[in-house]
Amino acid sequence: MLFVIEDTINGILMGSIYGLAALGLTLIFGVLKVINFAHGSLLMVGMYVAYWAVALTGLHPYVALLIVVPVMFLFGYLLQDIIIKPIFKAEKDVREPITVIIVTTGLWYILDNLSLLVFGPQYRNLQDNPLRGKMLEFGDMMISVPKLWGFCAAVACTAAIHIFLQKTRMGRAVRATSLDRDAASLQGINQYKIYNIAFGIGTAVAGVAGVALVPFYNVFPSVGVLFDIKCFIIVVLGGLGSIGGALLGGMIVGVIESVGPQFMAATWTEAIVYGLFLVFLFLKPSGLFGVKYDW
Amino acid sequence: MNLLELKNVRKHFGGIKAIENFSLNVGEREIVGLIGPNGAGKSTLFNCVAGVFPPTFGDILFQGDRINRQKPWDLCRKGLARTFQIVKPFASRTVLYNVMVGAFAGTDKRAEAERRARAVLEQLNLGHLADQRAGNLTIADRKRLEIAKALATRPRLLLLDEVMAGLRPTEVDEMVAIIKRLREGGMTVFVIEHIMRAIMALSDRVAVLHFGVKIAEGTPQEVAHDERVIKAYLGDEYAAA
Amino acid sequence: MSPSLARKLPLVLAAIVALALPLVLRSPTYLHILILLYLYAYLTTSWNLVGGFAGVLPLGHATFVGIGAYTSTILSLQYGISPWIGMLVGAVLASIVGVIIGLPTFKMRGAYFALATIAFAEGIRVMTENIDTLGPFQINGPRGLQIPPLTTGFASFMFATKEPYYYIILAMLAGVLALTWFISRSKLGYYLVAGGEEPEAAQALGVNVARAKLIAMAMSSFLTAFAGTFWAQFTLYIHPKSVMSLDISFEIAFIALIGGRGSIAGPVLGALLLRPVGDFSRIYFGDTVPGLHLIIFGVVLILVMFFQPRGLQEPLTRIYTRVVDRLAGVREAA
Repeated sequence: MLFVIEDTINGILMGSIYGLAALGLTLIFGVLKVINFAHGSLLMVGMYVAYWAVALTGLHPYVALLIVVPVMFLFGYLLQDIIIKPIFKAEKDVREPITVIIVTTGLWYILDNLSLLVFGPQYRNLQDNPLRGKMLEFGDMMISVPKLWGFCAAVACTAAIHIFLQKTRMGRAVRATSLDRDAASLQGINQYKIYNIAFGIGTAVAGVAGVALVPFYNVFPSVGVLFDIKCFIIVVLGGLGSIGGALLGGMIVGVIESVGPQFMAATWTEAIVYGLFLVFLFLKPSGLFGVKYDW
Repeated sequence: MNLLELKNVRKHFGGIKAIENFSLNVGEREIVGLIGPNGAGKSTLFNCVAGVFPPTFGDILFQGDRINRQKPWDLCRKGLARTFQIVKPFASRTVLYNVMVGAFAGTDKRAEAERRARAVLEQLNLGHLADQRAGNLTIADRKRLEIAKALATRPRLLLLDEVMAGLRPTEVDEMVAIIKRLREGGMTVFVIEHIMRAIMALSDRVAVLHFGVKIAEGTPQEVAHDERVIKAYLGDEYAAA
Repeated sequence: MSPSLARKLPLVLAAIVALALPLVLRSPTYLHILILLYLYAYLTTSWNLVGGFAGVLPLGHATFVGIGAYTSTILSLQYGISPWIGMLVGAVLASIVGVIIGLPTFKMRGAYFALATIAFAEGIRVMTENIDTLGPFQINGPRGLQIPPLTTGFASFMFATKEPYYYIILAMLAGVLALTWFISRSKLGYYLVAGGEEPEAAQALGVNVARAKLIAMAMSSFLTAFAGTFWAQFTLYIHPKSVMSLDISFEIAFIALIGGRGSIAGPVLGALLLRPVGDFSRIYFGDTVPGLHLIIFGVVLILVMFFQPRGLQEPLTRIYTRVVDRLAGVREAA
């Protein structure tokens, strides 16, 4: 019985990191109304940036956030500005911006294979970082320390984004644009600048997730693919555009992955996650907390 | 027999009562007009009749059959065609292609569909534009294309949603003539319109919608002098031309 | 010479060249490359029925390749059934799966449909990799199935040389192109285009958009499965990563998109342009610069979406018509 509780707690912790990874995706969708198929690749880039930041400077991973977040923000900002914005403009009146989806898919491929080229296929990990392998004893249960840090980062990040959206002027502009881009632009908000910022923030959050993962997860070029699909699943479960939903969705997936193997083979756990995803997709596509988007 | 009957139709969107207790009959070969200020609920009514969404309450009968929950494509097969206020041509294809899509509603063969489509284009003076890309047309031609597409399905009842908007007075007169010719050919027409000049010239009867409620019904002359109607339109820019 | 005849002539010539090529080109390596080229042209043209004409973005089509490959292989290995029959069974199975996927997802926005196809494809692949036996059927998980090259001959869909494979895939390609041409001129074709461009307008004109898309999906998955059986009989070894991977799904979609979805020539042109690029970079840069061809595909895809969202077939067809007209001495209209 204790195992189940331990697994559940670890599942919640890992799940919150998944949620953190998915947070950027849901934010970008909420504002741009575009599903960024390259999100997993952005996460992969974030992990590499975090890895190199720590490996080259010897800093504590979470201190390396000071490097990772601005770099990733800039990366996302430029990506949106240079590559996605032109297509966006061209498709302004089209009912469904499929071309944007196609472009992000192309981006996915470019980023993944470029990093294969530049970094090589080998698995990397930060062997001697201060968090690796540390466990916290809680009675008879072992809680993973790096995952606990990740949990805190996820909660802090979610709270920070929430405050940003609700309390700051820029955040209100972002919300306005996501509700009605034309009305917002009539109010003097430069919608394309907002898109750039939203994409930048989404990518920066992916960077935070990268920092959270790097102490205990291997870094390799195709790590993005695994997370990409997982992030889509989480975001559908939690509801596209919902910040809290991403966190919750992540935790659900985390718990299933953690507790599941106690009762069935690992592959069936994966099958359950996929199955849940498809069930939501078909029955409740707006997810648990999603905004009712016109289907 | 009444081709179209609306009985106590109500349409609510959550808390918003878009249409409240609306009743109207449209007889065969009649041209009935529906007017009202912006936001009165006219397009919503059309959407209910055309099967885009069902009414919350009440009955809609077409040719005697209750059609409340039927889908637009089935209704089209039954002889009910409609145009859209914001025209939706298949922009990347030719005008002929556009109309052929409608023509296929009555036949499976391409040659026959093409024949019918060309006939409709001639009927609406669009024949010379048959091979033009639909996206390149002027707004007036697009409006006529919109009607052509619907006409190609060989409907018995045609719902026209503001086909005159954006047209010059001469173009409006042309359109009125076309619609009248259609009626002579056996068509029944239900028109939403803002342009008074057209409605007065066209309609046998007019119903007036205001905040989802029918406030008047009668001949164009009766309605134009109805006090409630004048009050509803007070200060509006739509002068009776 | 009439303009339409002039434009068709080079195509006829190309067909004759294609038929005669194996007689001239004796090298099995080149034949192999050509066979794969035709295979991808076939796959992208089949994809085009849904991805092009129906206006949605299926990104998991490799599933149907896998279903075709596994069905015919299992039936022939375990029950001795001819792969030709297995091909048909696999195709029927694939189209059923295609309809199951399409039924709930066609009503959704494009992005969700794309997502669902990826999820289905990956889900089925993951399952296949982790299952050894499914009831009486041997699946062998990641190790895959090997077809022992025992009896050769048409009935067993197995040949000692490449030539027969060449002609079979060429025939399949010709067949699927002809089918696409017929459909584009048929009621279904018109309905698919209309439903893809303006679904509400199409519905008002009597088009049951969802049903048209399902029909297209059923056809597309049916035909795609054929390619799976061909692949199995050609390479004699199938495993999940070789017939069901996301890479294959994406390559099919990318090629069709770059070539120009929604047109008949687009997918074939895309394959003609991109496969050699891919092969070239795989052969010469495979060791030093792995995955280079995928980067190139991605970059080309983005560039094409920037400048020619309808694909390269649009400018290429214009150039082709102009050149042919000039050569045939057709006067250009004043």
